[in-house]
Amino acid sequence: MPQFFSNKKLILLLVGIIFLVALISFSLRDRQNANLPEQFIKDTVGFAQSIVAKPANYITGIFNDINSLLNTYEENKRLKMRLEDFAVLQAEVNTLQSENESLKELVKKESSLKDFNPLKATVIARNPDQWEEKIILNRGSSHGVKLNMAVMTAKGLIGKISLVTPFTSEVELLQTNNPNFRVSAIVHGKKKDIFGLLEGYDTERNELILKRIDSSLDVNEGEQVVTSGLGGIFPKGILIGEVTEVTTDDFGLTKMAYIKPAADFSMLEDVIIAKRNINEVDGSDGNGTNADLTNDVDESTGEGEE
Amino acid sequence: MIRFLIPFVAVVLFLLEPEFALFSPIQWGDDILYLVPRFLILYLIFISIYYSRKRACLYGLFFGLLYDVFYIDIIGLYSFLYPLVCFVAGSAIKFIHQHLSVTTILSLFLVAIMELVLYYFFSFINLTTIPLTSFLSNRLLPTIIANLLFLSMLGWAFKYLINARVIQHARDAS
Repeated sequence: MPQFFSNKKLILLLVGIIFLVALISFSLRDRQNANLPEQFIKDTVGFAQSIVAKPANYITGIFNDINSLLNTYEENKRLKMRLEDFAVLQAEVNTLQSENESLKELVKKESSLKDFNPLKATVIARNPDQWEEKIILNRGSSHGVKLNMAVMTAKGLIGKISLVTPFTSEVELLQTNNPNFRVSAIVHGKKKDIFGLLEGYDTERNELILKRIDSSLDVNEGEQVVTSGLGGIFPKGILIGEVTEVTTDDFGLTKMAYIKPAADFSMLEDVIIAKRNINEVDGSDGNGTNADLTNDVDESTGEGEE
Repeated sequence: MIRFLIPFVAVVLFLLEPEFALFSPIQWGDDILYLVPRFLILYLIFISIYYSRKRACLYGLFFGLLYDVFYIDIIGLYSFLYPLVCFVAGSAIKFIHQHLSVTTILSLFLVAIMELVLYYFFSFINLTTIPLTSFLSNRLLPTIIANLLFLSMLGWAFKYLINARVIQHARDAS
């Protein structure tokens, strides 16, 4: 049996392990900003990745097209049924919209929590080892992306920007285990809107958990959940999903609801980054500080550029 | 020509991994299955076995570092694991036969061990809360099957390419 390690190699290995443990603990501590070499690597790899992503997206597009072609007949039948409702709904929306505008003019309300600038982005990669739910987009701070912006698909909210470099950005998906990732949400109830906080993800049910709902209010299955815009980061009214089950929480003081997300988290291709028009408050959601952030908006919103 | 082909294939595999990761997770009945593409490390294990252990470790260090910085933001995790796996593969081959099927099984076994180490690491730092049994059934098994498919399709090509390089190397030396 030959000697597996010589002494020199053993020392090298030990030094290497100590160095790497130090590096791991260093990078675990500060996960908000990328330093300069990191940014350089991220942008270079991101550039190469976006070149590869184009044909890959094209090919998956073809597969999706074939898939939807096979379902055409069924879909057509279903859509025809809904078309009649649609015309009625459209007319109603038009009247409501014009009424809303005139009312807004009446009270001179110019900006709303609902307004946002959409910024289109393409997903160039998904974290291949899939332990952290994370995707990488081809838009970065040079395109105006900032930390904590909401990211959504046409179907609904999927997450928020967690890290920005000049030409790429990382999205933390809603399914994350990060306890600091909370989204303020509203359940569109029958009588009135009910507030709750979206925090956590049930990996066994594959559903999001809406916590801290007032126990005196009634939440029913099938009701829609949207963002409330009151968390200070996200615009108002982005669809999150629908309620599938309501229970009381661990302490029995408030209610808790399971929510089936509206967006499909696999096969993400094109997403929209939503920049809120109304000034945003970068709350303790981001970096866990308890500093007074409401009175010092300019300084705190600028941190995404670093 | 072949000289540059070996690192080029490694770069291509590195860039292809996240594209294949976009297919995952897959809904299979009631379960959600995660397929983790591990193309690059399989290729590096092949290099380590058929070509040179040292070179495989260096590639492992380089791509591991890229992987850490670009995807997971925990620097030092993959840049430690990749060279380690290559080193173990290169050392283990002295004791077993170098047939393609044996190397395939060995590399899949090493990838499974790596996945297990990663699972323990991530549950240690509280990034994941899934229990071990569901990790084994929903993650490890589909991952190994998917990578087995990949290797059975392209394993011979890797071997062919690396052997061509070894022959060229020997010719240059003589």
